This record gives sequence, C-alpha cells and structure tokens, in this order.
Amino acid sequence: MTELVWQRTPLLTIGFFIAKEVRNLIKNITNFIPVLAAIFVTDSTWLPYAIGGGYLVFIIVSAILNHHFFMYALTDDAVHLRTGVFSKKSLTLKYERIQQAELDQTWYFRPFALTILRVDSAGSAGKEVEIPGLSIDVAQQLRQTMLAERKAVAAELRDDADLPSVPTAKANSPVDLERQYGLAELIRAGIFDNKLFVLLAVLIYPLSQTEVLEERVLPWLEANITFLEESMWLNVGVVVVCLTALFVLAIGVTVVTNYNLTLTIAKQRFQTRAGLLSIRTISFRYPKLQRVRIRQNLRARLLKRFTVRVNQLRPSAHAQQQSSGTFVLPVLTRSGLEELSRWLRLPTRQQLNWQRISPIALLHPSFWVALSAPLTATLSYLKWESNLLALALGASVWLALQLYVVARWQRYGFTQAQGWLGVHRGVFGHYEYWYPLYKAQQVDVYQSPWLRLLGFADVIIYTAAGAEVIKYQPLAVAKQMQSSWLHDIANNSTRWM
Amino acid sequence: MPVNWIPVEPNYKSYLQLVVLIDMAILAIIGASLYLFLPNNGWLPAPLWFGAPWAAITVFFGLFWSLRRYQFTAYARTEEAMFLRRGALWRLTRAVPLNRIQHVEVRQGFLERLFGLAHLTLYTAGSGGADLSIPGLALANAEAMKAELITTIANEQTDESDHD
Repeated sequence: MTELVWQRTPLLTIGFFIAKEVRNLIKNITNFIPVLAAIFVTDSTWLPYAIGGGYLVFIIVSAILNHHFFMYALTDDAVHLRTGVFSKKSLTLKYERIQQAELDQTWYFRPFALTILRVDSAGSAGKEVEIPGLSIDVAQQLRQTMLAERKAVAAELRDDADLPSVPTAKANSPVDLERQYGLAELIRAGIFDNKLFVLLAVLIYPLSQTEVLEERVLPWLEANITFLEESMWLNVGVVVVCLTALFVLAIGVTVVTNYNLTLTIAKQRFQTRAGLLSIRTISFRYPKLQRVRIRQNLRARLLKRFTVRVNQLRPSAHAQQQSSGTFVLPVLTRSGLEELSRWLRLPTRQQLNWQRISPIALLHPSFWVALSAPLTATLSYLKWESNLLALALGASVWLALQLYVVARWQRYGFTQAQGWLGVHRGVFGHYEYWYPLYKAQQVDVYQSPWLRLLGFADVIIYTAAGAEVIKYQPLAVAKQMQSSWLHDIANNSTRWM
Repeated sequence: MPVNWIPVEPNYKSYLQLVVLIDMAILAIIGASLYLFLPNNGWLPAPLWFGAPWAAITVFFGLFWSLRRYQFTAYARTEEAMFLRRGALWRLTRAVPLNRIQHVEVRQGFLERLFGLAHLTLYTAGSGGADLSIPGLALANAEAMKAELITTIANEQTDESDHD
C-alpha cells in the first residue's frame, strides 16, 4: 500500500462545479416556486434582481468551495475521494468493484484536452463518482486499469486501448468490429426518437410554472396580432410552424449528441463514442449484459430502422434516471441489427419459435371494453339526444378498443432459445426484449382470484434490469417454467454481473 | 423436483388478526371522532351506514382472510432455491435461486415481538425493495435459517472466468 497523494483538480474545473450547481438548480426547480411566487407577487422592481444576483453569487461561491475541498488520490487498486465543504465525506472505490468507467469530454474541457471520468460502482447504493479535469491520457490509463479484469490484467490492458484518439495503440489491439453512423442515419434517428416530446416537456414545464405565458405572451399576442383571430387557418399555420421548428430542433439535438457515432467491439467490450460538442463514451462488458431491448416505433418502421438498448445491472438508486449512461444504438438497419445480434449472441431470428399466450387472456380486457361501450352510448345519448349517433359512437368506441385488445394479444409473443428469454410486443411499433435467463434473480408464479378460477397463472421473472411478466400460462405450465428456470439458474456458476 | 412446503408458526394467524384489529380500530376511532367532534354534522348519514360495513369488513379480515392467509403462507428450501408462498385471495409463489442472494436479514417488528415471531428477508440485485420475506417464523428458527443460508452462499462456487 503506497502513501496517498492527495490531488486537487485543476482550477479550470470550477466550470464543472458551476455546471453541477446549475444542474442541481434545474433538478430542484420546483423547490423555488415559493421564491418565484414572491417575485410575481411583490411590486418592487429590485427583488427579482436581488434574488437572481444572490443565487448567482451562491453558485459561484459554492462552486469555488466545492472545488477547493474536492480531493482525490489514485493508488494501484483504488480511488480515494475526500469531498464536502461542511460535512466531510471520504470514499474509497476499489477498482475491482467498479461497474463502469466512462470518459466525458464535455465541450468546456475539450479545448484544454481535459475530461471527466465517471465511475459507477456495484452495490445497492449505486455510488456515482465524477472526477473532473483529468488529462485525457491519464484518464484513459485510469479507465483501463479500472475496467481490467483481475485475472487478465495484462491482456485486457492491451485490448482495451482501442479509443480512436490513440491511434498508436491500435496497431496491437485487435478491434473486432468498428462501425460509424453517418449524418443521414442520425437524422433518421432524430425523426423517430421521442426527443420532440422531451423538448416540449422541457419548454412547457417552466412556462406553466412561471405564468410567463399567461401574463406576458398571450396579452402581447392579443394586442399585436389580432388578425390571427380572424382566420382559423392562420392559427393552425402558426401551430404547425412552431411544431415543425421544434421537430427540426429535436432532430438537431439528436444529431449533435450522437454526432460521429462510432461503435467498437473489442474482445468482450462494446463501446459507443459520440458527440459534436461533448464527446461521450459509453461501454459495457459482455458478461455484465442483463437485457437487450430492440425497439421500432411506427416512424422507425416506416424508415426501416431499429433502436437497440443494452441494460446492465440497475442499482435501485438509479432506477428512475435510466436513460443517461445506458448503452444505446439509436439507428440500425436490418443488416446492422443482425450483425449486432450476432455479436450479442442473440438467438438467430429464423429458428425462433414464438409462442402466443392463451386466447383466454382476451376475456378480461374484453369485459372492461364491453363495459365502456354502453357507458359511452349513455353519455352521448344524454348529451346529444340523438339515439342513432349515440349508438354509432358507442359501437365504434367498442370496436376500436376491442380491435386494439385483439391486436395487442395477436402481436405478443415469447420464446426461449439458447439460454435467452425473448418477448415481443407492440401494436403500432415493435418492441423486443431479450433476457439472459441464467442471470434472472427471482421467478414468481402469480394467481389472482380470476386466474385461479380459470386455472391459469402469470409468470413473473425478475432480472437485474427489470421484471418481465408472461401472462396467462396454464398453472401446470407456469410451475414447470418456474422450476426449470430455477434449475438452470442454480446450476449455472458463470459470472452474471 | 418436489417442493416440501413448511408451514409458518400458528402464532402468525393471531398476529395477523391483531394487525387487522388495530387497523380497524384506527378506522373506527377516525369515524367515531367524526360523529362526536365535528360541528354541525347533520349531513352525515346514520352511524349504522358506516358501522355495518365496518363490522362486516372486520369479521371478513379477522376470521376469513387471516385464516386463509395463514393457511397458504409457507416456505420451502431446496438445494437450488428458496421458495415462498403467500397471499389469501391473490396468491404468489416466489422463488429465489440461492446463488443470486445478495444479503439476508432477520427482522422483528414490535407486534411480532409480542408473539415471538420474526421474518427472514432475502435480497437480490436489481429490484429496489425486499425480495423474499418469510413472515411468521420463530425467532430462533429465523436466525438458524439465516446462518445456514449465509454459509451456503459463502461456500458457493463461482466460475471466475468470463468464458462460458
């Protein structure tokens, strides 16, 4: 054990701490509603500025203090951290317990060749540690040491040095696969991912909270562009233009975050590297894979593209914020998907025997749907006093829901092949989930009174990346599935994470 | 593989009944205080409208539900996994493979202590809450099971290599 050498991060990293404070502010924006309310209630002109200025000073001071008290030390087998202004915290992370280590080259560090090293450890607490302002070489060295397996340290070190920014290391590192995704593909990704809705939510939420819309924008609109009210088409046009602009913006966001997306597979490590301003690498080691999700929504179906996400163990602390840090390939062609599936060792598509669940599963939703039709009919009868219209509406609502229920059942399937459990579903889109069965954590057989009456049961399989329910299996089959899966899990002693 | 279900302590039924009684008593106190202390409570229906369902629910849970729940609750330990059956009307049979257990815990609540009961909880990775919790065990039994499970887990063989 060597003496610990405590280091401070470079002065430049104050920017990182400021960014962190700002992120905290946005995350906790709802806590500031009383303050915002105070701003709107008072007539005094200086109060908003005082509060804003005060907060600015607070951010800068706390960033400087946080920077001053952030110390780290690197040894052969662990990272030590000492943080905290008032309450001190010291943390030791053993390399062998580290789940994931990624480099974030954020845009404000890139000109100085610095990066942020983000480390996730195993364990239920799911500690996430960020060390800002390491030079790229040091960070890469460190990341390799962290990710190297205990047994095969030397071998791993060679194989892992496959970052494109180190061309010299490439000569002796066999990269099994490297794929780049061009601009056209990324634009396609932007068209079918749901960033638009995220963007809308991000824009609408603060607007609805601060009442700017009602107090400023609407009166201004009414005062200045009264001609809008005269034509409905103009109104529609304005909305369409706004939405189009947002859509283009959303595509832009996708392209910027995924710019120059590169997938590399070397030995057992899968890695993506992307970004125009901030470059992010996200990787996982194959033995740690817990779930593969293949998604294709309606727009993606029209564009003939797929999205693949690979989940690792999800510590409970991170359960909500799942999107950041997961390995995602946003746009894959059919052949690209097949290639990746081969590397992920998913069962080959042609040999799959998809099973449907029993048609009795339709009984339960159909019952509720059947209830909805007379309800709609009565309501519309009371409202419109037209028998025929009410009847037609009730019938069509019933038909639409019933068709949806049947389609959902018809498009559902599950399969077991080569140690994997696969499930596909989705009426308009297509969603496929693959779980390595031997990594499952628990298996449940569940019966509600209704299921007991029918002699059926649901099978629920809990994996480290979420649960999957297989509904309506005959009780004997469900029990058989449970015991055979348990047998497979218990007799498999390979590493599961 | 046949699973030999082991029933939980008979005390567990009394424990469930006590829990039901306490919960219903709290409801009764809230209801009674509405009638007694609320000013101008003329709009409230006659106390019987609440009293009769209350009594029915108490009888249902106190006699039927707790009996069924006690009867169905059982656990089993095989070479490969720990099993738990629980529920009265909605029934769940849960199994946790022994080589996926992360940690084991014995807990005893205040009411459980009155009956000398404890519950044994097994945790696995990934899911947030408690995973498999066997209620209604005698404390000594729970401790013994915990010790036995921990030795089993510790002696487990793991294949350290990554190659299947």
